[in-house]
Amino acid sequence: MGQVEQRELEELIEIRERKKKNIFTYIKFLLIPGYIMEDLAIREFEYEKTISKRKFIRRLKSILTILGIAIILVIVSFAVFCPWIAPQSLAETVDFYPNPQHPSQWPYQPPSSENPLGTTYFGRDILSILIWGARVSLTIALPAILMALIFGVIFGTIAAYYGGWIDTIIMRIMDMFLAFPGLILILVFIAMWGLKLEYFIMAYGILGIAGYSRLIRGSVLQAKDLPYVEAARASGAGNWRIMFVHLLPNCIQPIIISFTFDIGGIILGLAGLSFLGFSDPSLVEWGFYINQARAQILDAPFAVFWPGFMIMITVLGFMLTGDGLRDALDPRLRNI
Amino acid sequence: MSMLSYIVKRLLTLIPVLFGVLTITFILSRLMPGDPAYALLPLNHTHEQYLAMRRFLGIDRPIILQYFRYLADLFTGNWGASFAINRGEPVWDLIWERFPRTIELTLFSVLIASFLGIKTGIIASKHRNKWQDTTFRGFALVGVSIPVFWMGMMLQYALAYQLDWLPSGGFKDPDYGSPPHVTGFRIIDSILSGELYLTIDYLVHLIMPVTCLAFITLASITRQTRSSMLEVLQQDYIRTARAKGCKEKDVLHTHALKNALIPTVTIIGLNFGSLLGGAILTETTFTMAGMGDLLVSAIMERDIYLINGLVFFSALLFLMINLFIDILYGIIDPRIRY
Repeated sequence: MGQVEQRELEELIEIRERKKKNIFTYIKFLLIPGYIMEDLAIREFEYEKTISKRKFIRRLKSILTILGIAIILVIVSFAVFCPWIAPQSLAETVDFYPNPQHPSQWPYQPPSSENPLGTTYFGRDILSILIWGARVSLTIALPAILMALIFGVIFGTIAAYYGGWIDTIIMRIMDMFLAFPGLILILVFIAMWGLKLEYFIMAYGILGIAGYSRLIRGSVLQAKDLPYVEAARASGAGNWRIMFVHLLPNCIQPIIISFTFDIGGIILGLAGLSFLGFSDPSLVEWGFYINQARAQILDAPFAVFWPGFMIMITVLGFMLTGDGLRDALDPRLRNI
Repeated sequence: MSMLSYIVKRLLTLIPVLFGVLTITFILSRLMPGDPAYALLPLNHTHEQYLAMRRFLGIDRPIILQYFRYLADLFTGNWGASFAINRGEPVWDLIWERFPRTIELTLFSVLIASFLGIKTGIIASKHRNKWQDTTFRGFALVGVSIPVFWMGMMLQYALAYQLDWLPSGGFKDPDYGSPPHVTGFRIIDSILSGELYLTIDYLVHLIMPVTCLAFITLASITRQTRSSMLEVLQQDYIRTARAKGCKEKDVLHTHALKNALIPTVTIIGLNFGSLLGGAILTETTFTMAGMGDLLVSAIMERDIYLINGLVFFSALLFLMINLFIDILYGIIDPRIRY
């Protein structure tokens, strides 16, 4: 008992001592420019972090960005929850033999109560196609982007950090890949490898490496000569640690923005490929149904309209989010 | 003189990339499934004919000799013969017949998109956050996210089928012939031969495809111009120009625009690649027989020599455009001429 009170007394004395110290140090803080008081510095740092987080969130809260994030959430929920949302199951949606029993499953019916958006050439419901197609688009786009991101970032950071002949070789190889127009190289890859899901992912992944490595090479080249890298090197950090623990988190900002734009770009590219006919026939692709309904555009324009509208809305969501992120992270607009 | 040395230096850095492109195209074409000797012969051929065809095509030699033969062939114009599109027709003739149509479509789109895009970007940056800015940004966002072929089909449906204002596809009326062959470019030929109805017909057929392609390129140019103009307008020299009494029009166009054009020109050059891809989709939508259509048919049929020739040609075109963009940098910004 006595010991506890003794300890509390000692703590109170310590606090008072510290407070006394604070009064003198407070005077010093006022008079001497550049005087750093420890707990004030800590509190100020936390305050700055909170303020910058608040500014970021405030700038992110514009209505268009919220709309973009909402669209992405809707599309992702389509992709994840489609067995429960879609009116028809996947087997019924890709079934190639129309079931002529019920008039609602005849080809190219106008929108009705059974099929809210009409039917396709095989008599399948268009709404189910829109919902199941979200899953396929995201399944191809996300792994491809991640593959391009990871490898591109690694190559770009290595090239920019080491410089010299490593930089020249890596960038020459990337320039050679960038010398081809995008869709053409993808078409050639698909002609080489065949029409399966994995080959699409690999083709877009390989093509994206060049773009990301270029992007991060620019950022790392600028950040390589800053003092914090020198400080890290002086405190004994090895090359890999400097590259991936110190440099990379500070250079990642254009990558995040490019990431969101590129997902939209890949979804558009996939739609184009499946429109031209290069798609896995067992997958539900939006572009494929636009191509299929092309012959009937005079009689059934809704069959062409809705898949394309879905593509547009999906890509719009990613573009809006990317725009909002770019405006929120822009260092030049820091005071707004 | 420094301009000339800049151009020469740019051409010299182009050569290794060109060889890399050649090598990659060669590797890709050799990795593609399909046997050209088998495909070029009729079905009931003997084994000796097969071996003779292999010898004729040069594919029974080691791969290094094939590579050098391929380089020699490429530079002398013998790009092989197609075996799927028109059996035995030289690839060079096929490409050269269709290339002018694609290039006219692409050039018109790029020119219209750049002109309009820079104008709207300037207006959007001048009236920041007002209704002009919001409308143009909205259009730009829609333009970037819309699929080309879908927009083409919606335009076809509205303008060609329902309202019947414009023809729905193709690049010429089937009743009209071709102008006498001077350059191969239909517009120039028809103007030179004096038959202006052909020119007007061609331009009318080009309105919808060019609108689709230009809308998409215009979107990204507007966005880029707007953001780089916004950055430039915060600089001190703009404030100085205004303080010295410069007219607002001159401040924007003479002082701000020149500095803001460099990222925009980069974007135009980078977009040319996606323009070529968009040209493929547009040509398929509007059934114009151009280079993109040829590429799609070639890949469907696995026509190795045609794919090879087209890929190399597109890469060459893209490199030339980038070279032109680099020269344009040198013209716009004298500091870049090193």
